Amino acid sequence: MLALQLLFNGLVTGCALGVVAVTFSLVYSTTKLFHVAHAGIFTLSGYIAWSLSRQGVPFILAMAAAVAASAAAGAAIQAWLYARLERKNATHLVILIASLGTLAVMQNIIAAVYTPNILQFSLPWAGEVVAAGGKVRLTAIQVVIALASLAVYGGLMWFAHRTILGKQMRAVASNPFLAEITRLRPRRVHVLVMAIASAAVAVPGVLQPVDLGLQPYNGTTPLLTATIAMIAGGVGSITGAFVLAVVIAELQNMSLLFIPGEWSIGVTFFIFVVFMLFRPTGLFAAAR
Amino acid sequence: MDFWLSYCTLAAIYVLLGLSTNLLVGIAGIFSVSQAAVFGVGAYIVSWLLMNDVMGFIPALTIAAGCCIALNILVTLPALRVSGDYFVVTSFGIQLLATAIFTNWTAGTGGANGLPGIPPPDLFDKTLDSQAHLTALSVSCMGLGCLAFWLIMRAPFGRLLRAIREDELAVAAAGKSVLRAKVSAAAMAGAFAGGAGGLYATFLSFIDPSSFDLDASILLLTMVVVGGARTLAGSILGPFLLLALPQVLSLIDIPTTIAAAARQLIYGLLLILFMLFRPQGLAGEKL
Repeated sequence: MLALQLLFNGLVTGCALGVVAVTFSLVYSTTKLFHVAHAGIFTLSGYIAWSLSRQGVPFILAMAAAVAASAAAGAAIQAWLYARLERKNATHLVILIASLGTLAVMQNIIAAVYTPNILQFSLPWAGEVVAAGGKVRLTAIQVVIALASLAVYGGLMWFAHRTILGKQMRAVASNPFLAEITRLRPRRVHVLVMAIASAAVAVPGVLQPVDLGLQPYNGTTPLLTATIAMIAGGVGSITGAFVLAVVIAELQNMSLLFIPGEWSIGVTFFIFVVFMLFRPTGLFAAAR
Repeated sequence: MDFWLSYCTLAAIYVLLGLSTNLLVGIAGIFSVSQAAVFGVGAYIVSWLLMNDVMGFIPALTIAAGCCIALNILVTLPALRVSGDYFVVTSFGIQLLATAIFTNWTAGTGGANGLPGIPPPDLFDKTLDSQAHLTALSVSCMGLGCLAFWLIMRAPFGRLLRAIREDELAVAAAGKSVLRAKVSAAAMAGAFAGGAGGLYATFLSFIDPSSFDLDASILLLTMVVVGGARTLAGSILGPFLLLALPQVLSLIDIPTTIAAAARQLIYGLLLILFMLFRPQGLAGEKL
């Protein structure tokens, strides 16, 4: 019975991680930047929603504000930092270091303002058990996390394949030079992609802390898991990233049956090493 | 006086770490956030060997450096075979995994409480227990490290590394193995970091996981970025400047609860500002 409960928990965490992986993958395949500061946006969105909801703002509005603020933060990072560095012909390494610096700044501003202690949302509805079959129990917020994450995934798939902007984005991703000469204005597309990816990552960024609580440095491990899912799923494949995030979260949760939770980072990393050694292009890369 | 001695000792140890980070990030151009993990492995190995009276300081330091070389080869080889971004993920993973091991493997590392009572280093059957002795030891280690760094950079191997930074493809076309050169650079970085770890453990006589976490890795990166990449002067300047920062901060009245966050915030800001306005650091070359 414990195994079944862990299976469901893994599914919920996996969907949330899936959105982190998909959004990271969007940014990575379009801008070719390893956007480490994505973890900072993930964390920041949760704190924004927490502050607003503490001021008495209804949760749904607080979440909308957090999504909007994240989009603005993502666009700002792209427009004021990454684009500026690229104009100076900065190397990949320089941008990566700047991104890491941004992550450190965001995390530590949060830690200075809110203290590094764990914070909980006070939302009575979130903890209500909605589905309890046998000994398996799912709380309302867990169901919301899974459904909202799936909706974001579906929305991003639709956006990337069915809208003009999504097609422009994929065009810029596949050949920036060609996109430039056909007047697609890659820089503008980059900013938009960052805004969209940041807005989307705010959804699990707000919802997951309702279940698990907020901490300033909590974004790093999801980011690591998400990048591993992106690589294992095949860079450029949205579905691959999402599916692998769910698989990794399931493996992490199932491993709790055999090894204590503090070692789950080891399980994640082990999966990455296996992929790196045996299938570095990822599972879904051929489908691209 | 004691304050200055301990500042110099610590700075000398961090210069070794700066050299290590510079070799890896500045010269070989490999982005790494796991330098502190390697540093920690060196520190824990030396502490374990000395506390259990297995051997003297010098052999323990050699073993720690050897282990860190092996660790870095093991970590960089599979990742760099694929691409640099794979190593970013690897180094994040290694750092978080190392923190998990340092914190949770209570039997070997003392867990979050750390390892207290690490004996002072001994040289030629003589125990170095005074502050001045320890300072002399670490400063001479720093001197040796700097000399080694200078020699490496002058040697054909150093020129190969510089060439790789300029144009990887051209180096490969000239028949040199880029992968082997990068992994060798990482191995040397491991030796420096492992040695520094051993010195650090014996100097403080106490280690805990907080000295070897992701924040510590970011600090090491900041040291190289501020000092300047790819030069000896940069690797020396960075640690001396950044280790003085907490002292400067203690003059300003910041509540202790946010002091750590404020420090880390400044490191992050320095990383961004230097990348934007002075990527070569104070005394370095183009990153």
